[in-house]
Amino acid sequence: MRQRLRDPVTGLLFVLPVLVLFLTFRIFPSLAAAGMSLTNWNIGGDWDLIGADNYARLLDDVNFWLSLRVTLVYVAVYVPLTLLVALGTALLLNQVVFMRGLFRGMLFLPYVTSFVLAGIIWRWIYEFDGLINGLLAKADLGPVAFLEESAVVLPALAVVSVWKGFGYSMLILLAGLKSIPASYLEAARVDGASAWQRFRRITLPLLKPTIFFVVVIETISGFQTFDTVYVMTGGGPARATYTLIYGIYDHGFRSFDFGYAATWGMVLFAIVLVVSLIQRRFLDRGNT
Amino acid sequence: MTITASRAVTGAKPARAARRPWWRGRWPLAALLALLSVLTVSPFVAMFIVALSPAGRPTVPRQWPESLTLDNLTRVLESSGFVAWTVNSLVYAVVSVVVILLTASMAGYAFAKKRFPGREAMFWTFLATMMVPFQATLIPTFVLVNSLNGVDTFWGLIVPTLANSQAVFLMRQFILGLPDELFDAAKVDGASEWRVYWTIVLPLTRPILATLGVFVFLWHWNDFLWPLVVGQSDATRTLTVGLTTLRTEEMQLSVLMASAAVSVVPCLVVFFLLQRYLVNSIAMTGLK
Repeated sequence: MRQRLRDPVTGLLFVLPVLVLFLTFRIFPSLAAAGMSLTNWNIGGDWDLIGADNYARLLDDVNFWLSLRVTLVYVAVYVPLTLLVALGTALLLNQVVFMRGLFRGMLFLPYVTSFVLAGIIWRWIYEFDGLINGLLAKADLGPVAFLEESAVVLPALAVVSVWKGFGYSMLILLAGLKSIPASYLEAARVDGASAWQRFRRITLPLLKPTIFFVVVIETISGFQTFDTVYVMTGGGPARATYTLIYGIYDHGFRSFDFGYAATWGMVLFAIVLVVSLIQRRFLDRGNT
Repeated sequence: MTITASRAVTGAKPARAARRPWWRGRWPLAALLALLSVLTVSPFVAMFIVALSPAGRPTVPRQWPESLTLDNLTRVLESSGFVAWTVNSLVYAVVSVVVILLTASMAGYAFAKKRFPGREAMFWTFLATMMVPFQATLIPTFVLVNSLNGVDTFWGLIVPTLANSQAVFLMRQFILGLPDELFDAAKVDGASEWRVYWTIVLPLTRPILATLGVFVFLWHWNDFLWPLVVGQSDATRTLTVGLTTLRTEEMQLSVLMASAAVSVVPCLVVFFLLQRYLVNSIAMTGLK
């Protein structure tokens, strides 16, 4: 009996530190973000309520639409490329026994490093006298100005993020592959199904939920790209890599236009929310 | 049914692989996997080669360096800025690991094993904050910390990053799986709640604490956007932010690459010591 009565108090006491942290630094800022987007808050801390003016400004802002397009194109390159590389390497790792642990470790290695480090290494790799152009020169090709040409800079940045991040999705997909009962594939083999047929008719359908999870996770991280842009291009050339988060940073910490920057943040929130809700919708359907 | 039937007809595992010519076997796949693995780590290898090449002398990709030297590394380790950033990054990562493990395990214990009013609502609210990307609340979080004079201080850098819903969620799920009897027995013996937490919960959750600790360390060591806006001088600037202030226009490439190489050492140590741990926990929990 005494135990039961003591429970609520101790329970609350144990949750208290986390509760305070969350209320102060997650929940309050989330609500404040919505509030700030309705103000003209600036660096001095002065502000007036200006209603939906920031949103009207956003809709008229050429740079916002450009930024949205840049981000969407980036995601459209980044997500399929990550999936392709992660699925390819996961399939290989699932097939090959020879030194599997070593190869898995090598493929996973970039994941434990930072996007900043990836950006610094790849900035050099893409330079005129960098690694790729050096190799191209040996074949009498190039040079290509990867980071200075609008047409190639987004795919070039996407490649860096794919390199840095695919190890995570590879491991998730590998776990998914391992959960497919070997007997299914074996039976199909015995029945004369080719490798491609086995992949197409058995592996792929059974892997679908895992692939879906990977696509959602990578889509969300694609929309949050910032570090590599900051390190490698600074949003350029001519705003060709001016992603949504870069816009938040630029308006907030270069122009100190906090109210408007918070409005850009709300757009990011809306996008991530929609992606998450689509995920839940599909997962629910998958369960029934 | 059909699967077991066809297996029964053909008998044991088909031993076809042995009769295939080598080029139809797994070797081409193993070679492809090896190639991809080498390609994946090659940017790191190139970084280390340049870092060990004499400054200002030709190196990869134009030609192999004539000799290797540790001069760049010692120059990096002697520069006061770099040492300060490294210490700051260590403080940022280690303090965060300790506090997050402590607070998240306490909250996880309460959410899993204690009854108190508002428990479910609170837990699901914590989870819902996962859907709000940090970047969307960057501006209000900065304004809040700024108004508390936390910009360019260690607490301003660290405290807002301690509200980690993934950590709370993971701890709660793990502790849910522990049998109630373990905790009840101790309480019958008259142990205080704190003692139960300290002598039973913490030791039993050691595996998940270790996993979480590795991830929190990597998240913070590699973190960029928040340290960028809040750590404005060398007093609190972290290594990732410091690295972005180094420009090839002002310093030799080999020194820059040496800085990058030193910054990745903790990640490599974690990777080589705990790779298996990381790999398994990603596959099992989807922790990213």
